[in-house]
Amino acid sequence: MAAKAIWKGNLRWGDFNVPVKLHTAIKEDRIQFHLLHKRDHVKLRQQMICAYENKPVSTEAQSKGFEIEDGKYIIVDPEELEQASPESGRVIEVHEFVKTEQIDPLFLERVYYLEPDAYSKGYNALVGALKEMDVEGVCTWTMRKRSYLGALQTSGRILRLNTLRYADEVISVKSLELLKIPLSEKELKIGSDLINQLTGPFQPQKFENEHQKKLQHLIERKARGEEIAVLRPRRLKPTAPDKLLQALEASLTKVA
Amino acid sequence: MAVQGIWSGTISFSLVAIPVQLVKAVEPGHVSFRVLHSKDYSPLQRRMFCPEEDRIVPPDEIIRGYEIGPHQYVLITDEELESVSPERSRTIEIGEFIDMKEVDSIYYDHPYYLVPTKGGEKAYQLLVEVMRRTNKAGLAKFVLGEREYLVAVKSTEGALALITLHYSEEILADEDITPREGKIEVEEKDRIKKSIRKMMADFEPGKYADDRRKKIVDLLKKKVKEKALVEAPEVEEEEGGGPPDLVAALEESMRKVKKSR
Repeated sequence: MAAKAIWKGNLRWGDFNVPVKLHTAIKEDRIQFHLLHKRDHVKLRQQMICAYENKPVSTEAQSKGFEIEDGKYIIVDPEELEQASPESGRVIEVHEFVKTEQIDPLFLERVYYLEPDAYSKGYNALVGALKEMDVEGVCTWTMRKRSYLGALQTSGRILRLNTLRYADEVISVKSLELLKIPLSEKELKIGSDLINQLTGPFQPQKFENEHQKKLQHLIERKARGEEIAVLRPRRLKPTAPDKLLQALEASLTKVA
Repeated sequence: MAVQGIWSGTISFSLVAIPVQLVKAVEPGHVSFRVLHSKDYSPLQRRMFCPEEDRIVPPDEIIRGYEIGPHQYVLITDEELESVSPERSRTIEIGEFIDMKEVDSIYYDHPYYLVPTKGGEKAYQLLVEVMRRTNKAGLAKFVLGEREYLVAVKSTEGALALITLHYSEEILADEDITPREGKIEVEEKDRIKKSIRKMMADFEPGKYADDRRKKIVDLLKKKVKEKALVEAPEVEEEEGGGPPDLVAALEESMRKVKKSR
């Protein structure tokens, strides 16, 4: 079941206005650990320590500083930061529409479901229009003192907002300084054939978080006082560059 | 290599194995502040602290515990944790390829890049190029720290991007927010389509900037002009003087700070 609404707003573009409510779409369930002191199993807590005095510092005695050069800071008061917060509003402004395939997945952050808030004929009509045109709306809004950039999209019979990362948050591939290595057409051909052979439909339901279950099992065994055998992680031997073609051919024979 | 690795291991498909490093693909854009001691402007470090002994605890005295009752814990070592799925902790094994278009964007969680390490450059480039040509992405599961991730590995501008995916059980159902009445008014839909056509553009995320960040940067610029700078006291290097575990603890905390940046 979807969680209750976290925010309300109005989708707006041109002379259209569609009132919506935001719901979270993802719920992560993880096994939580605590950090303990080995010797007496006392639960530890995080504490800010002054590097100069080597002593814990209470929240009241802390300031925020922006490091302008090594060891030199500009102090910023909480009130000053508060003033930099964007003004809150209730409008999700759609600036333009783009083809869905143009949005690189690296920009996609998190999905929220949009529920129609009060009746408007626009909601269903917008779902239909976005679907038929295979487009998404690029929009901005302010929620909880943060400015968001997002893509308005549709799925099934509902609208969704997928928050987007700002352009300067995505690290460019150029900075990875990758080397260009020539490849033979034969290597590329066999590689492509192999990938096509290994392609299937995307079936996310097939994948379970087995690790979580195994971890739960490990905890239960340890709670009963059982001894746990330590297994070494497996490391694969890298394929040597001059053996690449051979490995590709052998792979293709295996799957064909 | 210009970037710091988060993880190192091997990515494999069928009989081909490529040594790689996992590096970050996104950097949170907010202006990052250091937390300082108001009294002496010395930077503060996040450390684990024992409330009972009232002292800082170095990393080698810390163990992970799962709470089974009040003050009752099951202790789990790093080695035991790695033993849970040992075959997946150092290998990203692509079991199948998929058409990236089939992946609903709701599954996308966090992106990283993979970069080849020594000897892996050629096979890496082959995988990049054939996934680009076939427009396919690889699916794999691998374990990092306390979690196991389902990941999609795709070709992006000459590099391999690894995007962690949500498990389908983490996605909440949307039935109860779906409008009961699904009827679409054709006239209204056509009016909307007309407005969309007028507003069509190419996706250029660079056009949009975070307003809050802009304002904070402006504030900082103003303060620099006013010369409102403070200076932290020099901290003496702990060479041989302090207990060795403290040095290790400092390095550990520095490493964590760098990672979380």
